[in-house]
Amino acid sequence: MIYLDNAATTKPSRELLDVYRQIEEDVFANAHSNHLAGRNAAKYLTKARSALLNVLQVENSHRAIFLSSASEANNLAIKGFALKHQNRGKHIIISNVEHPSGYEAVFQLRDKFGFEVTILTINHKGFIRPEDVREALRKDTILVSIMAVNNEIGSLNPIKEIATIVHTFSRAMLHVDTTQAIGKIELPYQDIDLFCVSGHKINGLKGSGALLIRKNIELLPLISGGNQEFGLRSSTVSVALAYTLALAVKKAASELSTNATRLTSLLSFLRSHFSKQEQILINSPEKGSPYIFNISLVDKKASVVVEALSNQGIMVSSVSACHAKSEEVSQTVRALGRSEELSRNTIRVSFDHQTTIEDVDAFIKAFDDIVLRIRS
Amino acid sequence: MIYDRIMVRFGELSTKGRNKMAFIKLLATNISKKLSEDFSDFKIETRYDHIYVVVNNNDPHAMIEALQEVSGINSLTLVVKVAKDIETIKATALEMIKSQEAVTFKVRAKRSDKNFPIISDEINRQVAKEILINSNLKVDVKNPDLTVGIEVRDEGCYLFLETFKGAGGYPLGIAGKVLMMISGGIDSPVAAYLLMKRGVLIECVHFASPPYTSSAVVDKVVDLLKTLAHYQTNIRLHIVPFTKIQEAIHDSIDESYAITVMRRMMYRLSEKLANINKCLAIANGESIGQVASQTLRSIRVINEVTNLTVLRPLVTYDKNDIIKIAKQIKTYDISIRPFEDCCTIFHPQNPRTKPNFKSTIWLEEKLPFEEMIAEAIDNTKSVLIKAESDN
Repeated sequence: MIYLDNAATTKPSRELLDVYRQIEEDVFANAHSNHLAGRNAAKYLTKARSALLNVLQVENSHRAIFLSSASEANNLAIKGFALKHQNRGKHIIISNVEHPSGYEAVFQLRDKFGFEVTILTINHKGFIRPEDVREALRKDTILVSIMAVNNEIGSLNPIKEIATIVHTFSRAMLHVDTTQAIGKIELPYQDIDLFCVSGHKINGLKGSGALLIRKNIELLPLISGGNQEFGLRSSTVSVALAYTLALAVKKAASELSTNATRLTSLLSFLRSHFSKQEQILINSPEKGSPYIFNISLVDKKASVVVEALSNQGIMVSSVSACHAKSEEVSQTVRALGRSEELSRNTIRVSFDHQTTIEDVDAFIKAFDDIVLRIRS
Repeated sequence: MIYDRIMVRFGELSTKGRNKMAFIKLLATNISKKLSEDFSDFKIETRYDHIYVVVNNNDPHAMIEALQEVSGINSLTLVVKVAKDIETIKATALEMIKSQEAVTFKVRAKRSDKNFPIISDEINRQVAKEILINSNLKVDVKNPDLTVGIEVRDEGCYLFLETFKGAGGYPLGIAGKVLMMISGGIDSPVAAYLLMKRGVLIECVHFASPPYTSSAVVDKVVDLLKTLAHYQTNIRLHIVPFTKIQEAIHDSIDESYAITVMRRMMYRLSEKLANINKCLAIANGESIGQVASQTLRSIRVINEVTNLTVLRPLVTYDKNDIIKIAKQIKTYDISIRPFEDCCTIFHPQNPRTKPNFKSTIWLEEKLPFEEMIAEAIDNTKSVLIKAESDN
């Protein structure tokens, strides 16, 4: 199998699976228990927490809350912050290409809790202009939520500039969905008030995640209970998952620039191949994440191509599940100004650190052959 | 539990004259096959008008549940067989009603062994008297909570309380085998079920067009047949590679005739497979007028390619009635999974509802369809599908 859907999830590394198992076996006690085994588990948890903060260089400025996923982290950041601080103002700014766990959380605040939302539109290169953020800021803006790397096309938002604007011209906090960025691209994490980590996007384990939050920020917890994780996320924490998460981030971060260089060349190989084809439009901007490449098919159905590739053992992704009765449209690609038809027929190829030129080559060959063969 | 047997009463089978013994034998075989899936150590006794399943150490209620999926059974009764002796009969009847929550009862005895010295009416009285003396139950002959059934036969006396409904119909296999065209939609599994209930064994054919259709559609068909296999232990599924034919139709047939020609190809392939696999007819889930290819005019033009009988159990059914049965036989939730068996690429905007012969044949002449059909048959894959246990 050639797996090129790493933006959806990656294969967990053998090493981390072993670590997970080892910790579950040896340090299975509840980290909140008042006995030796519990305190031992707590030590591992502390180790994991400081390792995570350390590798992201926010050990002095932030806290890490272990939780289950980036979706949960985004929900806690957005709803937890907005509900806690709604007396300061009820205005939130987001972009029009956020991940559903971001915009659905914001829409829930709008529809059920009376918040006002400004939705900024990405430009044709796929990113939010900092001046648009500045213009949208109001006195009652309490939160700006903009993703770092778009999960569909890999476009990058100017987070550094946006952070400066938000912090200079308002009292709002900046939340950044960094799911596709952690361990993959450089970001000024100290400048971001709330951001998230997902283990399974960087060859870690599904179910491992964290929200990183500036130390003085208070949130309303979404899960009440035993007050674990600073009272912000009750439920018995999985020490083993937390530990693998820290290791996964550490490993990805240490290889960040080597991987980026190598994958950038794979990406430009893909780009130069597809830019010659008339029936294909490239949606990913030139200066984007080296991990994500997105195209639109002019006269073929993306779902059919994805199915054909899958039948040949090559896994890539399309917006619509194959042959679903109702075909979805990629909102991100639509936001680039593409037609509805083109936004429906998108294919995303996404790498992980192990993707090779042979994988990409096999994909290209199979793709070209399929597109030639299948009917429009 | 004092019951030791399940009495199996035949459905419409009772009306069949000369071949009755063959029918009973087939039903006994089907019962044995069905029960062998989950039980061992049971015995089947066939009589001229009943079959008895000797329960031994099995759970009789679980057995009855399994037998309710066997076609050709009208009703199922838990019975206990005792010696033909009035004292034993009285004692057993008393034992039977002991654990029952009821206020009223009646006794209904039947004496087919005329050598038994006590007539039915007298058996009724004696047993009723015994129950009246030894319990708080009262007699109600019109609308009793409990009916104590007693049948005195040559080989012994049977007592029973409860009767359960069977699936009805004929024993599976009595009517031979047909090739069922199955798509993954709601209709064809229901059609298959109705045929099985009528004693018809089925094999299935599915036309797959990868990559235009997802492999998830084949998974869906397999899951449907696993559900249907509760009624027929094993179902053979033939998966015909249909992509090349679909593409050829798409490339050279006028769009408005694409569906007509596609269905004709499916019928041709089904006929070939039916003959190879000794199926006596083709069957499908067509219902008059439901879609363009199912108008009478369309069906006439499509059906013209085969001499084999085409059975359409749902021909007059409304969609709502079909859905009702689909829910009852638990295929509905599988059928509505969001995977289509035909890609929208091959869905014409305006298919003909009144295709004519001449145009169809003229259009088909452009296709080397004999070769394409032979190739598809050569590459057809067959799998045997067994019921999946619920637990």
